[in-house]
Amino acid sequence: MRRRTFLALTAGLPAALNLLGRPARAQAAPARRFLVFYFPDGVAGPSQDGQPSLWHPRGGLRDFELPAQLAPLDPLREHCVFLDGLSMGPTDAGSHPGGAKKLLTAVDGGNGESIDHVLARTVGADAPHRHVYLGVQANQNGASGDKHISYPSAGHSTPPEDDPVRAFERLFGGGVAPGLPAGDPAAEARIAARRSILDAHLADLNALRGKVGAAERSKLDLHTEALRDLERRLGGMAMEAPPPPAETCDAAPGSVGRVDRGALYAPELFPTLLRAQTDLMVQAMACGLTRVGVLQASHHTSELVMSRFADTEMYDPGYDMRSHQASHYGPRHDPAHREFAAYVQQRRYWVQRFADVIEALRARPEGDGTMLDYTVLLLCTEVCDGNTHLHDDMPFVLAGRGGGAIDTGRLLSFPGRRHGGLFASVAQAMGHRIDRFGDAGEAALPGLVGA
Amino acid sequence: MRHGRRGRLPPHRPRAGRGRRGAGRRRWPGAGGAPRQPADDDGGPHPARPGSGRGRHLYATHCARCHAADRTGGVGRDLTDLDDFDRDTLVRVIDATMPAGRPTACAGACAERVGDYLWALRDGAPPPDVPPPPPVEPVDCADAPAALSPRRLRLLTRREYRNTVRDLLFPEAADLVDACPPHRFALAAADAPPGTATVHVAGSFNDWAGTVAGGGWPLARTADGWALERDLPPGRHRYKFVLDEQQWIADPANPDGEDDGFGGRNSVVEVDCGAGEAPVLPADPAADVPAETRPDAFPFDDHAASGRVTVRHLEAYLDAAEVLARAALERPGFAPCPTADCAADFVRTFGRRAFRRPPSPAEVDRYAALFVDHGAEAGLTALLSAPAFLYRSELGAPDGDGVWRLTPHEAASALSYFLWASMPDDALLAAADRGPIDRAAEAARLLADDRARAVVGDFALQWLGVDALRTAHKNPDLFPDFDAALRAAMLAETADFARHVVFDGSGRFADLLTADYTVGDARLAAFYGLDRAADGTLPYADAARAGVLGHASVLATYAHSDQTSPIRRGLFVRRRLLCQELPPPPPNAGGVPEVDPDATTRERFRQHTDDDFCRGCHQYIDGVGFGFERFDALGRWRDTEAGQPVDARGELNDLEGFGAGTQATYEGVHELAALLADSDAARDCFVRQTFRFAQGREDAADDACAVRDLRADFDAAGGDVRALLTAVAAHPSFVLRREAP
Repeated sequence: MRRRTFLALTAGLPAALNLLGRPARAQAAPARRFLVFYFPDGVAGPSQDGQPSLWHPRGGLRDFELPAQLAPLDPLREHCVFLDGLSMGPTDAGSHPGGAKKLLTAVDGGNGESIDHVLARTVGADAPHRHVYLGVQANQNGASGDKHISYPSAGHSTPPEDDPVRAFERLFGGGVAPGLPAGDPAAEARIAARRSILDAHLADLNALRGKVGAAERSKLDLHTEALRDLERRLGGMAMEAPPPPAETCDAAPGSVGRVDRGALYAPELFPTLLRAQTDLMVQAMACGLTRVGVLQASHHTSELVMSRFADTEMYDPGYDMRSHQASHYGPRHDPAHREFAAYVQQRRYWVQRFADVIEALRARPEGDGTMLDYTVLLLCTEVCDGNTHLHDDMPFVLAGRGGGAIDTGRLLSFPGRRHGGLFASVAQAMGHRIDRFGDAGEAALPGLVGA
Repeated sequence: MRHGRRGRLPPHRPRAGRGRRGAGRRRWPGAGGAPRQPADDDGGPHPARPGSGRGRHLYATHCARCHAADRTGGVGRDLTDLDDFDRDTLVRVIDATMPAGRPTACAGACAERVGDYLWALRDGAPPPDVPPPPPVEPVDCADAPAALSPRRLRLLTRREYRNTVRDLLFPEAADLVDACPPHRFALAAADAPPGTATVHVAGSFNDWAGTVAGGGWPLARTADGWALERDLPPGRHRYKFVLDEQQWIADPANPDGEDDGFGGRNSVVEVDCGAGEAPVLPADPAADVPAETRPDAFPFDDHAASGRVTVRHLEAYLDAAEVLARAALERPGFAPCPTADCAADFVRTFGRRAFRRPPSPAEVDRYAALFVDHGAEAGLTALLSAPAFLYRSELGAPDGDGVWRLTPHEAASALSYFLWASMPDDALLAAADRGPIDRAAEAARLLADDRARAVVGDFALQWLGVDALRTAHKNPDLFPDFDAALRAAMLAETADFARHVVFDGSGRFADLLTADYTVGDARLAAFYGLDRAADGTLPYADAARAGVLGHASVLATYAHSDQTSPIRRGLFVRRRLLCQELPPPPPNAGGVPEVDPDATTRERFRQHTDDDFCRGCHQYIDGVGFGFERFDALGRWRDTEAGQPVDARGELNDLEGFGAGTQATYEGVHELAALLADSDAARDCFVRQTFRFAQGREDAADDACAVRDLRADFDAAGGDVRALLTAVAAHPSFVLRREAP
């Protein structure tokens, strides 16, 4: 009964009819998920004058110290893997946009499909929404394409959805026939009509395909994929497991209700918006609506005035400390320097928000454990140190066990290896075997995934 | 093999497609001339040619800006000392990383040539045994290859989509959507008891809900209290704020109220907007379509290669099409009669306007079947979300010699979307039915319509980049009057000013920069402290403001939240007005200096020009921006900063191009405007920006001849903007296309 209600309010009730007729797959293991958490403008890594990193943990495989910026992860360290030494390569090193383009594609200039879309098209393809990309003030100030990190096709990023209310309506909305009961002839008629519309458009695209070159064909491929996605949703979505009984799948998280849509770009409301987008992403995953998500907080070279976040250590209404400004903290780690002190606080804030995501997943029982055990989380930013802008020794952190594929609680070092290898490993953990990823042809990182 | 300083390099591999550039091109029709000589510099790697003229030319184009013409370094390293490189490593570093931030601008053969050039001239290299290279000759446009846009599909922008559905479905409607602003409920923290956790609003519009769960509208936390924006229907509404779902209070900020019948008071709000004729649509039909994306150096929303349909787009298009179809079908006589013949007729006639060309017989069958099988709403929904509706085709037909020419219908759309951001009207479609259209004559006709005025305003906002102001933040303590209305007034000023100059004033580009007046509403006039003239314009009170450089939209966009930014304002002039791109800041660049009450902005930024490392680029940036210092981060006039009189002297070195060696100083933006209006570079740039807007792509080096043609027409018309728009539409590049890769 619970499930019937849920489906009626998510994928659209008539869409669910097929599913309800199928035998339940109660014994199936929970699906694995991939969730990226991005924050802007790097970390306090190795300084310009050679002082060692204040981000990268020091110590042995399981016995290591977390520096101040990572302190919020200390209580959760057994759920994380801290990574050292991965490089994004020399191209555009020194540049925020260059780093953002390589970050999830591992291809120079963003000239490749990003790992989130690779996974959305494979292991995530059965979910009603193959990919969910939510932003928080990520489209501020007329942000151009190089400020966004998710690339559905080579060379072309797509903007995230910054409005939690619109995102909720899209993800949890009523489908093609909202409010109509199961088997209602009017609902069936609407679905049949929508299916015929999609068929007509597919026929149009097929007729166009023969008339265009490869570059335009990639546009038509994306369009065709979108039509097939909607067609698939009309056919009813198979979920491998019903949502956990405690999950709310028919109402927005309370934090979404607190969003003021008239002020989506006010810095003082940023924490409220980030909370809403985080809750929405976790709820969409818990309800089986998606398995692949990207959360993008602001964008690189961010003008976000983080000193206006109330109830945080950054709060200082007397001074506008912007993210990008703080990142240029000077030649050395100097706690007496205002920018440097603010920069470390800001990084700690981002890490704390990543910890919030981990906690939200850990609070939801699933399978033999919690949602966290079936998820791979990635914390990332587009450069290493925000002052030097270098693309080496990138500050990646993983969390979650990916259904047992990842042994957490470790510090792993891969000096000189390219970060495409991390994504090859993540794909393996997700059950999609790719041996190499990115334009450097980097292989999966030894020892990261599997026994 | 030794490595360069940049660490590990990616394996070098040939790039697909390289070396094929230039194939299948031809000169402008009628240009004549001998076949192009086989280029000695096309193709793959070749032996080192010391002092190669091509390498030197490429070096001057791509590298000299940062590494100096004599290779001794500036922003970039000294390239005479290459002891830490070998030749192949040098080439690979150039290929993969240079120019900084734009490595694809000089890759492959370009990197080889530059590398060979540098390698041959390095310190300690054997002296070259060839004579010095001849000077680089300018391009001869009579014999130049035409750089054409590829054959392509151009997805409608949201702007174009809105205009198109209006012109297609509701041509007589004044407003498609209700333009009423939402009502803002706000409660200051000082007006609530300490410790108040939640606030919601309850009133006649939500049945006086005593709790949020019961239907109350929660206010969101803001910096200084709580706020909520909601659309209210026309009429008189009564409400109260509810604190922690217990304590009911009237709105302390609202003087209007009435007795609540319980011994207290209700607050009252009157909404009269929207009480007139009902809008055609409940909401903006493009509201859910994701924003356009574009490369950073491209200012406009119509970047053709970036316009792509993801599943989020498709959901938005389908939902909007359904709403549009329902609204259209409410009009009497719009729906076809429910027979197969009627449906086919409807698809032929309506489809010709929706697709901007006659539908093919297969399309007529396909869409007529939807009408017959599923009804008019489904059929119309399908047409309004069809690929042929969403994309405008620029595929063309073969025109010989590997060139393609837009069909008359495609050309008609190219013209109407360029000048109207909307579909062709009946006259233009009829002209296309008859055959090739007279683009110059049609352009003149289209430019006389109000839709062209709208486009010129939108163009100005995007060209200047001030549309970013829509989401910009300003420190509320320093700029308490920067609210939604002032933001809107600033944007309207720039759009309306451009329309005024182009259509009602002199029409000249120079006046966009130098005009001694602006236009705007009462709010803007009060902000500037200007009085309205008899003709409705706002003459600037003194000479210190001029044209768009004095617009608050420009001054506020290119500033930070709490301070001015000579860097942003200087880069704005270089990039937007002069089309001069600088490399991104190098690693280890410093940040924005702190606000210091005892130091002026100029003093705080002194490091940029005192430090040799910074000066390489910042000599071109800060000096320009300093001339804007009369205006604060919101564009307000100021006489003093940090207790000192404002020094608004600026310098504009190398105005006509980096490395030109010219110097110019000025005082205040009005003098800067005069310098720019007289410069070749600014006129060239305006032509290039217009060309980019029309073509939906970046201009490339091979477009120099098209730009030169357009510049000649522009100059011949005395710098008239409408003449430039007509020239762009009439130019062969407007309708010729090359085979896409």
